[in-house]
Amino acid sequence: MGDYGDWRAITPDEVLGYNEATQGYLCPHSANVYGIEFIEFKIRDLDSGAVLFNMRKPDDLVLPPPVEGDNSGRFVSYDFGAAFLRYKTIGTALTFSVGPEPVPNFRMIERHYFGDKLLKSFDFNFGFCIPNSTNSWEVIYEMPQLTPDEEAAMIAAPYHTKSDSFYFVNGELIMHNKAEYGFSAPDGASED
Amino acid sequence: MGLLSIIKQVKMQEKEMRILILGLDNAGKTTVVKKIKGEAIDTIEPTLGFNIETLTHDGFTLNVWDVGGQKTIRSYWRNYFEATDGLIWVVDSADALRLDTTRAELAALLAEERLFGASLLVLANKQDIAGAADADAIAAALGLVHSTAQPDADALAAADAESDAEPAAASSSSPAPSTGPTQVAAKRHWHIQPCSAHTGDGLLEGIDWIVKDIASRIYMFD
Repeated sequence: MGDYGDWRAITPDEVLGYNEATQGYLCPHSANVYGIEFIEFKIRDLDSGAVLFNMRKPDDLVLPPPVEGDNSGRFVSYDFGAAFLRYKTIGTALTFSVGPEPVPNFRMIERHYFGDKLLKSFDFNFGFCIPNSTNSWEVIYEMPQLTPDEEAAMIAAPYHTKSDSFYFVNGELIMHNKAEYGFSAPDGASED
Repeated sequence: MGLLSIIKQVKMQEKEMRILILGLDNAGKTTVVKKIKGEAIDTIEPTLGFNIETLTHDGFTLNVWDVGGQKTIRSYWRNYFEATDGLIWVVDSADALRLDTTRAELAALLAEERLFGASLLVLANKQDIAGAADADAIAAALGLVHSTAQPDADALAAADAESDAEPAAASSSSPAPSTGPTQVAAKRHWHIQPCSAHTGDGLLEGIDWIVKDIASRIYMFD
């Protein structure tokens, strides 16, 4: 079990000031007192409508409670083809469920970096979530404009492109997920 | 410059609008949104929470909040009123048995202070179903217009007969009927659009109206 220090004191403003991926996770699994669970994550190319990535938890799968120190459940490694960097408009759809308590002021901040360069930062306020609800959210965004050199560098350095997703309820950090991205797969998208 | 004015200016710069879609369960709210997005509509399940979708229309980005309409969820609708620019109320025009319920739920929303500024689009959905009530009948059933305004042949004939008998005098001297259109609807920008989320007919016309109406209100403010 890691030492998370005073993670309750971490604020949205603080993580919005980060300029590279964090070394570890900023909060334990136990911080997720609202029982928020991710059910599906889908990425599609808006121009063609093609689904580039889709990961869904089977309906009948009941996940055991996560074990502190085991971060496999909050980390994803993506291996996209180089073509992924050339899509212009991407839609990412997230489906999540919440536990029996109402969730006030649910907010997600997600930051994408290549090394110490910030590529993209999202800040979205879901607001209130209904008890025992299943909710979905699709955001459509323009891919960051990359120079040919940057694109080549990202392809040449798989998994140096990283993201941190921070989830806050009433300004208190309750979840921290990480992902890393490679762009060297021969075609299409696959999950590690 | 007031805070509200600053917020509206920021909204216009970002060209973002917040649209809330409500209505009874099975009215077709999620199907409306999926159809507009060009997605498959054959596997839609009841929404037990919210779906947030991003649409672009006429250069605007619409943040659309589609919240489930089941009875147990309706009491949570109020959590989604804040900062709403437009309200889309979806009606199952073929569900004659629940028109009273949909009228009562809409009336409660229109009395909400936080929704006073929101443009109202009523989608008279499921027009593809035989026997569905038409848009005028839905508007009347919801109390948005006088029920005598229904383009019902008998009612029109009766109104004509009355006006022939008592030209002008009756309407100018009689007090407003207490059971007339809700006062909030009278002051509000609203529009009813017949549509079918199944075929897609009428959906874009409806979205076009609400986006233009919101845009014009925000511009007029400044």
